[in-house]
Amino acid sequence: MARYRLEARTERSAAAPFLVTGMAILLTLVAGSGLFLIYGKSPVAGFTAFFIEPLQSAYGIGEVLLKMGPLLLIAQGLAIGFRARIWNIGAEGQLILGAIAASVLAIYFDGSTSWLLLPAMVVAAMLAGMAWAGIAAWLRNSFNANEILVTFMLSSIALQLLYYLVTGPLRDPMGFNFPQSITFSPAATFPLLIEGTRVNVSLLLAFVATVLAWIYMQRSLPGYKLVVGGLAPQAALYAGFSDKRAVWVGLLIGGAAAGIAGVGEVAGPLGMLQRNISPGYGYAAIIVAFLGGLHPIGIVFSSALMALIYVGGDFARLSVGLPSAVTTIFQGLLLTFYLASALFLQYRLRRVDARPPVQAAAAEGAG
Amino acid sequence: MTAPKRRLLGALAAGTLALGLATSAIAEDKTKIGFIYPSPVGDVGWAYRLDEGRKAVEAHFGDKVETFAVENVPEGPDAARVMNQMAAQGADIIMIGSFGYMNDGLKLAAQKPDIDFMHASGYKTADNFSNFQTRNYESSYIAGMAAGDVSKSGVLGVVAAYPIPEVVGIINTFALGAQRTNPDITVKVVWLNSWFNPSKAQESARSLIAQDADVIFSLYQDTPSVVTAAEEEGVYVVNTSSDMKKYAPNHLLASMTTDWGPYFIDRVQKSMDGNYDGLAYWGGMADGAVGVVSLSPDLTKEDMAEIDSVIAEMKAGTFHPMTGPIVDQDGEEKLAAGESIDDDSMRGIDWLVKGVETRIPN
Amino acid sequence: MTETLIFIVAGTLAATVPLLFAALGELVAEKSGMLNLGVEGMMATGAAAGFVAAVVTGSHTLGFLAGAVTACLLSCVYAILTTIFLANQVASGLAVGVLGLGVSAAIGKNYEGTTVDPLAELNLGPLSDIPVIGEALFEHDIMVYLAIVAAIIVWYVLQRTKLGLIIRAVGESPSSAHALGYPVTLVRGACVLFGGAMAGIGGAYLSTAYTPLWAEGMVAGRGWIVVALIVFGSWMVHRVALGAYLFGAVSLLELSIQGLGLDIPSQILSASPYIITIIVLAVISRNPALILLNSPVSLGQTFKASN
Repeated sequence: MARYRLEARTERSAAAPFLVTGMAILLTLVAGSGLFLIYGKSPVAGFTAFFIEPLQSAYGIGEVLLKMGPLLLIAQGLAIGFRARIWNIGAEGQLILGAIAASVLAIYFDGSTSWLLLPAMVVAAMLAGMAWAGIAAWLRNSFNANEILVTFMLSSIALQLLYYLVTGPLRDPMGFNFPQSITFSPAATFPLLIEGTRVNVSLLLAFVATVLAWIYMQRSLPGYKLVVGGLAPQAALYAGFSDKRAVWVGLLIGGAAAGIAGVGEVAGPLGMLQRNISPGYGYAAIIVAFLGGLHPIGIVFSSALMALIYVGGDFARLSVGLPSAVTTIFQGLLLTFYLASALFLQYRLRRVDARPPVQAAAAEGAG
Repeated sequence: MTAPKRRLLGALAAGTLALGLATSAIAEDKTKIGFIYPSPVGDVGWAYRLDEGRKAVEAHFGDKVETFAVENVPEGPDAARVMNQMAAQGADIIMIGSFGYMNDGLKLAAQKPDIDFMHASGYKTADNFSNFQTRNYESSYIAGMAAGDVSKSGVLGVVAAYPIPEVVGIINTFALGAQRTNPDITVKVVWLNSWFNPSKAQESARSLIAQDADVIFSLYQDTPSVVTAAEEEGVYVVNTSSDMKKYAPNHLLASMTTDWGPYFIDRVQKSMDGNYDGLAYWGGMADGAVGVVSLSPDLTKEDMAEIDSVIAEMKAGTFHPMTGPIVDQDGEEKLAAGESIDDDSMRGIDWLVKGVETRIPN
Repeated sequence: MTETLIFIVAGTLAATVPLLFAALGELVAEKSGMLNLGVEGMMATGAAAGFVAAVVTGSHTLGFLAGAVTACLLSCVYAILTTIFLANQVASGLAVGVLGLGVSAAIGKNYEGTTVDPLAELNLGPLSDIPVIGEALFEHDIMVYLAIVAAIIVWYVLQRTKLGLIIRAVGESPSSAHALGYPVTLVRGACVLFGGAMAGIGGAYLSTAYTPLWAEGMVAGRGWIVVALIVFGSWMVHRVALGAYLFGAVSLLELSIQGLGLDIPSQILSASPYIITIIVLAVISRNPALILLNSPVSLGQTFKASN
């Protein structure tokens, strides 16, 4: 009987990331077929609704792009931190803070027609997201507090802050006590990018962020230092790269991206501040970042795929009658299979000859 | 495969079919009507009543209509997509069943003048965008009368969703109805700031019971958790939306029901006839849109007689529950003796009557 | 006032049960170095499966069992990902969390709107007749007391037994534990499965006893609170338990304060546990001796035996 053993790859094969992602998608499709069958639906009809229907109309494509924007933006920011082993899982909170900061400007300057208002909102959102993530960086550097837990708890606090503001200070005084702000004026909302869809200019910000992330990670010295620090902290320290700096950079970049995603929502499809400003983009973006192999280009594809699953899920509800749970299960399966497949990025299976254990041990000792 | 497991799988399949739709082979002359609900239909609560209305439309028009529904659509950026997709699939009428869909619905209505919209519980209208509400403050007055009759402690507790005018108005008439049958009644409120949080609703009910409330009012809660908690604690309970007798066989005092059927049917007919308008519908007892069912047998004959006479007056349009003299929580007179509140003031009501101890949060 | 006090004490005991069960499970998993962030999904799955089983069989015991087994199966996914496929723990936990939320919604879908009888109160005879105290402490279902018993057992096992020593050793330094001949992967896997089962029981309590119904989203963030509680309790059983009860009390206090007519924004109360937890985390993390004493050093790190 043949035995297999995991062996670390000495060098990365260029094709491996594609093979791994392909494998994860294939496994998800197989498991998804089973899921459709449980619901008594044909897998063909199910997958058509999920992956083809949304792409058959300009509106559908627009919706996918609309979803893709915040996922892409946040995931690019998070991936930089993740590669430095800074685990910011609180992008949802940083997004909320960004949305709040932008909304304060939009509400305070309601009626203004200045073209400066929107850029100011973007900057405010970015700073607010950075500040919220900065708390975690400060606590990690000064108090050694685990950033996974701090960023997550800051998200819960951000949500309560949002609830407080929309039921109180930022509530529309003419809105019959309903927890939402006034509708933003045109100067405080992103212009549409494609007529007839809801895609707005904030999508461009996500692509700008992608280019910046690519330059930073693949072509710059600070980015290189950051990654080395993540892969081999001891070596980085030895080479004089600061661990604390990595914490700051990793978290602040993630916070800035999430904050901008927040203004993209309130000044985009929502046009106001309300209780539900994000259907969990901050958490979904973590999935997106991993699915994209923490690589700026990979994330473009993974965010598009994830957005397609979201939108396709809504299509499948209406045209095939699949419940919304299927969308959630799909996302979970995809990440699960990806994480399993990703093993083969760093290791490969090597066949070991079947020999009695004692003999094998002896052989190893000799070798 | 074991028996329970098969049952589970079967049930899963059956359930999705129940809500699903068949897009295939649609005759072109059918009026297509899409329904969007904010919560799962289940078999109680807000979405359930809306879905009952959908069924009434199907029953009334038969082959002339085709309806389809999507449940559990959160108020937020995703709601617009579901509406748009319904429009893309050729819906002639779209019913959007939650306050938070208002702005997205209006935007779409402006883009698609061919589609008629029915919106639940909003305050904006357009030519092809009508909204609908029910005068639940009428049925809550009746529920309040019953509560005043049975309460021994003189304290009533309300588990309420958001402090929007509709809810504030219902609490007011609930208190006024109770004060009619027992002048010393006071009312305590817990604001959940949620349509849907079963555990917290249930905890709120118990906290009110601990503060002496012996009748609990489950106001716009989408699950029966308050009702079951009251049954367990042995105090009377009143609820909105649908009959919840089965969740509290011994302690259900009354269920306030809503019937959207007649309104939906009227709207669909208007749309078919091509004379849809931006009506702001506000149906009450007189229209058969609201009612009170499952009144507890613990109410005495005299209590029932009084309740029946008030219901008759409301149906005849001769009695408005918000009729002066009414003073607010601060003792300021809001309505002089004999004066009834007008509809506009009622729609935007932002004050609570004397006897309600909790304030509107701000 | 007495009634309100009784409500808060009695209510806290019940409200804490789901948190405490899940927290004890997560604590054991974290002690072995496994940070499973999927608690929310596991609790939801336990709640849905437990409720369906209780409705179908009419037995609460089978409900808890079904909840434990289903959530445990889900935690297997996490265990396999992190130990065999050496996947990142944060990502694996999120994967399991998302999967669990989806699976729970699918399982419970057709049982929305049904209800089961709540768990019966335990008859404690004369104890429950004591005025005030009896009502507050001795009129509860069995799980309220089992949660406390479970906390004591977990404490005992972790601190006083060889098994506990091995778990802690694995969490401190998996490579040293491996060198000493302990089956690191097996220990970590088992701890994760225990965590899954306990989260499942906590979830099932929520849907079959605390709020006897299933509704999507009913776990309402409790799984994340559990993750925070472990930190709040700085990985010590008694502090985690205390934190769980404190959290339960604060959430009920928020409702009582409203009924009493005090004007404090409820969001401040809702946020306070998280604020306090961050402060506690900062304080304990600053002191290396304290953090080394309790926090599993290898938390969140994957381990692969070198041969």
